[in-house]
Amino acid sequence: MSENNNTQFETAFEVRDLDLYYDTFQALKKINMDIPLNQVTAFIGPSGCGKSTFIRCFNRMNDLIEDCRIEGEIFHHGVEIHDKSVDVVQLRTEVGMVFQQPNPFSMSVYDNVAYGLRCQGVKDKNILDEVVETSLKQAAIWDEVKDHLNRNAMKLSGGQQQRLCIARAISLKPEVILMDEPTSALDPIATTKIEDLITELKKTYTIIIVTHSMSQAARISDRTAFFLLGEVIEYDETDVIFHNPADSRTEDYVTGKFG
Amino acid sequence: MTRRRIINDKIKEALTWLSSGISAFVLIAIVVFIFSRGWETLNWDLLTTGYNSENLMADFVHVDMNEFSEFEKPSNLKDDAVFSSKYGIAFVDGIDANKETYTKVVYLDESSPLQDGKITTAGPRQGEQLALHEGLYLQKISYLDEAGDKKSAGQMSPEGKEASELVAILDNQSVEIVDFYAQTEGGGLRGSIITTLILIGITLVIALPLGIFAAIYLNELAPKNKLTSAIRSSIELLSGVPSIIFGLMGMTMLFPITQLFGIDGQSITLGAMTLAVILLPVIIRQTEEALINVPNGMRMASLSLGATEFQTIYKVVVPNALPGILTATLLSISRIIGESAALIFTVGTAITDNPAWNAKGTSLAVHIYTVMGGEQPNFELASAISIVILTIVLILNVSVKVITYYMTKEKDEPAKA
Amino acid sequence: MEKDINNSKDNYELISEKRTKRRTMYKTIDTIMRGLFKLSGLISALMIVLIILFVTIKGLTVFLPSYENPVDLGNFLTGMRWRADQQDYGVLFIIINTILSSFLAALIAFPLAVLSALMITKIAPKRLSGVLTTIVELLAAVPSVVYGVFASGVITSLVDNIASFFNYTTFGGNSMLAVVLLLAIMIYPTITSMAVVAINAVPESHELGSLALGASRTQTNFKVVLSSAKSGIFAGLILGLGRAYGEATAVSMVAGNAFVGPTWNPFGITRTLTSTMLSGMHETAGVDYDIRFSVGIILMIVILINNFLVNYIKRRIESGE
Repeated sequence: MSENNNTQFETAFEVRDLDLYYDTFQALKKINMDIPLNQVTAFIGPSGCGKSTFIRCFNRMNDLIEDCRIEGEIFHHGVEIHDKSVDVVQLRTEVGMVFQQPNPFSMSVYDNVAYGLRCQGVKDKNILDEVVETSLKQAAIWDEVKDHLNRNAMKLSGGQQQRLCIARAISLKPEVILMDEPTSALDPIATTKIEDLITELKKTYTIIIVTHSMSQAARISDRTAFFLLGEVIEYDETDVIFHNPADSRTEDYVTGKFG
Repeated sequence: MTRRRIINDKIKEALTWLSSGISAFVLIAIVVFIFSRGWETLNWDLLTTGYNSENLMADFVHVDMNEFSEFEKPSNLKDDAVFSSKYGIAFVDGIDANKETYTKVVYLDESSPLQDGKITTAGPRQGEQLALHEGLYLQKISYLDEAGDKKSAGQMSPEGKEASELVAILDNQSVEIVDFYAQTEGGGLRGSIITTLILIGITLVIALPLGIFAAIYLNELAPKNKLTSAIRSSIELLSGVPSIIFGLMGMTMLFPITQLFGIDGQSITLGAMTLAVILLPVIIRQTEEALINVPNGMRMASLSLGATEFQTIYKVVVPNALPGILTATLLSISRIIGESAALIFTVGTAITDNPAWNAKGTSLAVHIYTVMGGEQPNFELASAISIVILTIVLILNVSVKVITYYMTKEKDEPAKA
Repeated sequence: MEKDINNSKDNYELISEKRTKRRTMYKTIDTIMRGLFKLSGLISALMIVLIILFVTIKGLTVFLPSYENPVDLGNFLTGMRWRADQQDYGVLFIIINTILSSFLAALIAFPLAVLSALMITKIAPKRLSGVLTTIVELLAAVPSVVYGVFASGVITSLVDNIASFFNYTTFGGNSMLAVVLLLAIMIYPTITSMAVVAINAVPESHELGSLALGASRTQTNFKVVLSSAKSGIFAGLILGLGRAYGEATAVSMVAGNAFVGPTWNPFGITRTLTSTMLSGMHETAGVDYDIRFSVGIILMIVILINNFLVNYIKRRIESGE
């Protein structure tokens, strides 16, 4: 399905001429982008540049916003995700998401992780137990919570909550995990843990991350896209973006001339 | 500041204190009045007995009076009570609300022969044991005199209408008691209390799902368009409609629905359906407020995990809004207990002892209306019921405050990073 | 429990076929429930329309020629006598009575309520303000019928005493004055709580501005706070008046149900729309039963016009600034 011959990698998503409007305001303009499989792709840019709006396109969370209109195409393994035949609920099980604010449900740690599967109708206690354990292990939080699986997740610290949310997202074995500024509400120590975790997770998952911190993008991502006023100014390997950008605006941004 | 300005300020401030004082005074006046008029009448029996008095006849198997020695008059008996030392029973005279004289039993010794009566009146209680116990109103008592002839005394007999006369006959002429006829005390609230409970039950069963569902629709699903705002303002309008209009609505609009269940005329179900409509705006508003307070992040998280919207609502949103829904329920109960005008039209004003979902009855509030509506308003009973209603309403309102307090407290707690 | 990730992924794949089936089921449930939610919303919204429709239709039937003993609409609207026993149903004096007593009640309650609201929000120390708020809430929670008992026990004897001081006799205290006092008490908490909300919504900067200009606390409260909050306070007045027009049980216990009117003498018995609807509840059919709905229409119209007028006045005052 790929019409872009420059693609040198397997893609998770191919975005073609995507425009997004909030009522009359155009938030995203003619975006074209290939997201590589099993790599970390970072979106950077100043506030209000559209990067968070863009990441929500991949699991169609923008459907929930009224007056939000999308034109253009996003292909996921050859299927256009806005197509009528696509079940958005199914799509969201394949494309998980972690939000800016840790948002665990007000239930036990166990129930939080088992939530996604239970919504799929999985009731088998053995499967649930196993998935909860492996997910929590993969999210590097198992050792901290294994003795309090029945504790309310709201009682965890912010960093633990965010890792729990990651565990919850990977419990469904998604192919892609979207992360919308996952560390912006956390302290530096918790941030480091999450970053280590992301590096670990990219072996198994495709990760798309929006971040405010350029150093974070430089540390963890393979490819980086720079957004400005709803447009992709530059999209390339992270090294190139940070050390040898083609566009002067990118350079100004990554060197901290504006933010 | 000029002196005039200071005086002017002082006067205005005094006025605000005065007006607040008046409101406090009015509340105190209401409470004092209700309690002073009703407290004497209020007792456990009032709450547990029926409104219509029960007629009871009971007879005794042959008792050998020689087995009994003289009974001792208890020391705590009131002065106006007349005590029979032979049978260990005491009576007082009185005049009831209908200006008729009565003889009431005020004491019965534990080992008195009058403990072992057997009910002979037809009905479910036939054969049950019945003592001529405290609180019964004696109509007639039959005894055997020394000649072995059966004679009677009491209100319904030529002799023994007064307690002293009755006791004299019993102590001096009787050899053995054969049977008696007595009435229980009427005017109790049991029927109205049960009616109120049935009303609360049926009303909530109808109103809660409808109201909560409507609130969910408005807060979770409805698009922001003209139709939605029209729905909102219609529901808002509903809360401004006086309850008597709801009563009229019940009579015309809902009555045909109860007819489908084979109910003819006013009924508890009709009242409950009417109340459900009255409560809709209350429940919707309270529930919506609770739904608004559920963090949006939870909805997003649930949807991003592949839950359907209903799963999100059912598993995440509603459980988090439960305290608010509980508040709505308590407020609804408080409103049901206090409602009168709409129920007068739809459930009627006839006090019943055997309430049923498809029959007429009175809630406690309408019970007050009925006893106040006669030729002689019964302030004592009305005030006693008012105490009951006010107490329940107070408890419900305090509970709502406590729940709301804890809800806001939980929310204000800073999230630990 | 120590299985590696790949193994568990296989295990997980096994249920995938079932998952598709389940998902279809969940989608159906989702659709059904959304429909149910929407239906509930629509039913709730339709209620007001249905109420107006049903009461109006039923209320108009007595005027139709097809009715067994049709009531003359002209006489109904302009009549000054209500003698059900003589088939004479004139509702005009009842309308006047209702509006008059409600207005007088609002005249008493409104200033008291606004001043109390000011007390609660601005003047009283925190503790006292909490106590006063509770008092207002309790007054609002007292059921109408309990107010009725209080009114027929206390207010009527108060009115009787006042009347005898002026050498008037009353029918056991049942009178327009009793209705007015009762309604004033009953609408006081409504207006007060609305006024409290309105005053609390006034931004603090307004007050600070006034204080900075050398106005005293009291001057600020009365001039700046009250005038900034006035649209909310007026909304409270509308609600209070609406409650006064529609108050039934308590009013009917002290109104006395006069046959003619309007009642101008405060010590004379009166008759309101609601007390008329509640009187003679024994009929279940016939004109006396049906005419209640006609009175109900009038009550709804009175409330509607009231809301419209007060809103109009409110807008005039606001634009006058």
